[in-house]
Amino acid sequence: MLSKITSFALRGLEGIPVEVETDINKGMVSCDIVGLPDTAVKESKERVRSAIKNSALIFPVNKITINLAPADVKKEGSHYDLPLAVSILKASGQLSANFDGTVLLGELALDGSLRPAEGILPVLISARSKGFKRFVIPAGNRGEASFIDGAEVYALNTLKEVVEFLQGEKTFELVKARSYASVRKAQTYNCDMSLVKGQAAAKRAIEIAVAGGHNILLVGPPGSGKTMLARCIPTIMPDLTFEEALEVTKILSVSGELPEDGIVTLRPFRTPHHTATTVSLCGGGSGKIRAGEISKAHNGVLFLDELPEYHRSTLEALRQPLEDRVITVTRAGASVTFPADFILCASMNPCPCGNYGSAKHVCKCTPAQILRYRSRVSGPLLDRIDLHIEADGVVYDELISEAAAETSAEIRSRVERARQIQRERFQGEDMRVNSNMGERQIKKYCRLSAESENILRGAFESLNLSARARSRIIKVARTIADLDGSADIQPKHILEATSYRSAGL
Amino acid sequence: MYTNEEINLIILSSFSELSYAFKKILSEQADLKNYENFLIKTLSGGVYNKVNSLFHDEGYRGGILKSLEKKGIKCVTIYSDGYPETLKNISAPPVVLYCKGDVSLLKTNCFSIVGSRRTSQKSLADCKKMAGEISSRFTVVSGFADGADSAALEGALAAGGKVISVFANGLDYIYPAINRPLADKVEKCGLIITEYPPEVGPKPYHFPVRNRIIAGLSKGTLVVSADKTSGALITADYAADYGRDVFAFPYSIGAFSGAGCNALIKKGAFLAENILDIFGVYSLDFNTPAQTDPLSEDENAVYVAVKSLGDAFLPDVAETLGKPLYEVRSIICALEIKKKVAALGGNRYSAI
Repeated sequence: MLSKITSFALRGLEGIPVEVETDINKGMVSCDIVGLPDTAVKESKERVRSAIKNSALIFPVNKITINLAPADVKKEGSHYDLPLAVSILKASGQLSANFDGTVLLGELALDGSLRPAEGILPVLISARSKGFKRFVIPAGNRGEASFIDGAEVYALNTLKEVVEFLQGEKTFELVKARSYASVRKAQTYNCDMSLVKGQAAAKRAIEIAVAGGHNILLVGPPGSGKTMLARCIPTIMPDLTFEEALEVTKILSVSGELPEDGIVTLRPFRTPHHTATTVSLCGGGSGKIRAGEISKAHNGVLFLDELPEYHRSTLEALRQPLEDRVITVTRAGASVTFPADFILCASMNPCPCGNYGSAKHVCKCTPAQILRYRSRVSGPLLDRIDLHIEADGVVYDELISEAAAETSAEIRSRVERARQIQRERFQGEDMRVNSNMGERQIKKYCRLSAESENILRGAFESLNLSARARSRIIKVARTIADLDGSADIQPKHILEATSYRSAGL
Repeated sequence: MYTNEEINLIILSSFSELSYAFKKILSEQADLKNYENFLIKTLSGGVYNKVNSLFHDEGYRGGILKSLEKKGIKCVTIYSDGYPETLKNISAPPVVLYCKGDVSLLKTNCFSIVGSRRTSQKSLADCKKMAGEISSRFTVVSGFADGADSAALEGALAAGGKVISVFANGLDYIYPAINRPLADKVEKCGLIITEYPPEVGPKPYHFPVRNRIIAGLSKGTLVVSADKTSGALITADYAADYGRDVFAFPYSIGAFSGAGCNALIKKGAFLAENILDIFGVYSLDFNTPAQTDPLSEDENAVYVAVKSLGDAFLPDVAETLGKPLYEVRSIICALEIKKKVAALGGNRYSAI
């Protein structure tokens, strides 16, 4: 007898329907899976055999052929266990009900219970948009499924339950929909700008960076709290909207990094170590193409601590995604596009000894040594970082001071105002924040008065700025003006923006 | 072009086999007609034969001159009219000066500014400013190291002054390489000189020897920074030996790269706190250039605050003035553009 069950394969974040066809014939006892299964899928039959047996059902002693169609798409992952098992049961006549159009996903344990699988959320979203309505998933994936509306999702515990459900012998409750806002309230950041002492200049620069979506470089002596400052960046960013949260959750779902709640409501903050490889940062890998750190930082912050210590080729690979806000990972087998719209925050010491610019400690580096250290980060990458700011060495008095610093919420409200202005400005354009502007938009939205233009010209002559610095300064000035609630870019905005240029010697 | 005597010197100078000491004695010979006797007396047989045969080899002589011309190098020998008298008067004047740039600067009034590679940002800013002021009356002479030497050259060039940089290697090399852009500027608006033939690379022992040329060219030498063992002190010693004036920046106790300067002052060097301390010695006056770009009221307030704080930390300036930090930041940037304030790194600024 022949059976057909629907399941899904994942390519990047996109789900592709997969038909699981099983045919049972007389002949030598065997079980073959065809249709480009990977190792996890090939091993699946052993789990399925035990799971069926331990669910008090019968694994047919016949020649079993299983085909995963379409045959030219690679099938990866362990979530085919459940459709395989159900397909075998149906082909052997142990299941008689008709459940065409029900999508089955889930990994089986040997005792017949269902284990949570990776990538359920992106599959549900793709399947729903393709017209599938009814889903059976493992109970462990209940969290991420509870935000999908317009679909009947059943989260079940065991193969036995699945059989009872499909046969209609028992009724099970639908996964309850939860509101995004309720989960959002329950999750909080564990740091706050008010806990960072001093660093007034750096805080201001970070506020500008977040308001305009600019990348930022923190230069400061070791132990000056650069990492702490960076960790606070997500706390002053506007709350994730539901759509943004789903984008983030989808990526983390595929990587199997979801929190218990099943949805990410906090802006991601990713800190790959400087030994990270290009693939781990940008995505890729053999077999299944996985999202890299830059995609996991989507809608959030990618923090690269000690920037000059990263491999140069790894950093160079960031240039294109920083520009395009997506990354397309291409391998011989497939090409997958992941979103990668993040704020890059990088930190470095001002010089090899770390004391350059310090009031208390003496920098023992020669200018040549400092230049050599700084030139480990390429110019083209630095050109994509709009703000360069020096973090101050921490003064002890500041550490113990009780003086109230601004909280993240206060700063966030200013940021949100500036973002609102930008949303209105960029209506109908493919951009959300000032940093996304190209030359055309700069011309259109950043008119400079004669006085501002003069100041910029003077700055170029006396501060030795590069040609590329011009558009960077103007974009940052636009953001500062937005924070100021000013429609025009005034001279003071240009001047402040100029002061965030890369520090010379 | 060159006289025969000059060419003889240039050719002799090109032999790497002949030591510096040898060339020095040679230059003291009344004329080069007896150079042959002298060579026989002092050189070993093999070296003598080689030097002697090449010296008379027209091909070799032509080749040397041609390659110098091709590289744009002009030679000023101790017999040349363009050779500066001040340099002739030192104990071991260089026989040949290989020059790139404006050779006439050798005959101008020179003043040297030297210091350590490890110089605080504050002193570098002061050095640049003073180099600019000195260049209104003197040609500024320095080495080519990064740190104080480069700052002196840059300061003078930025003020539109003339500079001479004395290299410790042949002109085929630029050391340190990061100063290549500066070398181009010096060549265009000043002069690079060295006593080494073009193909000689930098060697550690060249630098102290080179310092005698810096001191020898100059009426006075200003040491902007030096720790106890700094090479800048060697230049100051030479200057004192040659009877030239020595000036030094004053430093506070234990200041970074300041001990050498204070030691010089203890030994009797002039303390140079501002340009009048230097020009006073030469009975020169210094007219503060007319303010071309007047400061606005806000700018002036910030400028005064930065000046009174000395090594001014941005949040401190904001606090002094009771203004929000970002406002002060943009005003300081305006002052930077007007070159009234220099950034020292770490959100610190110094008034110029």
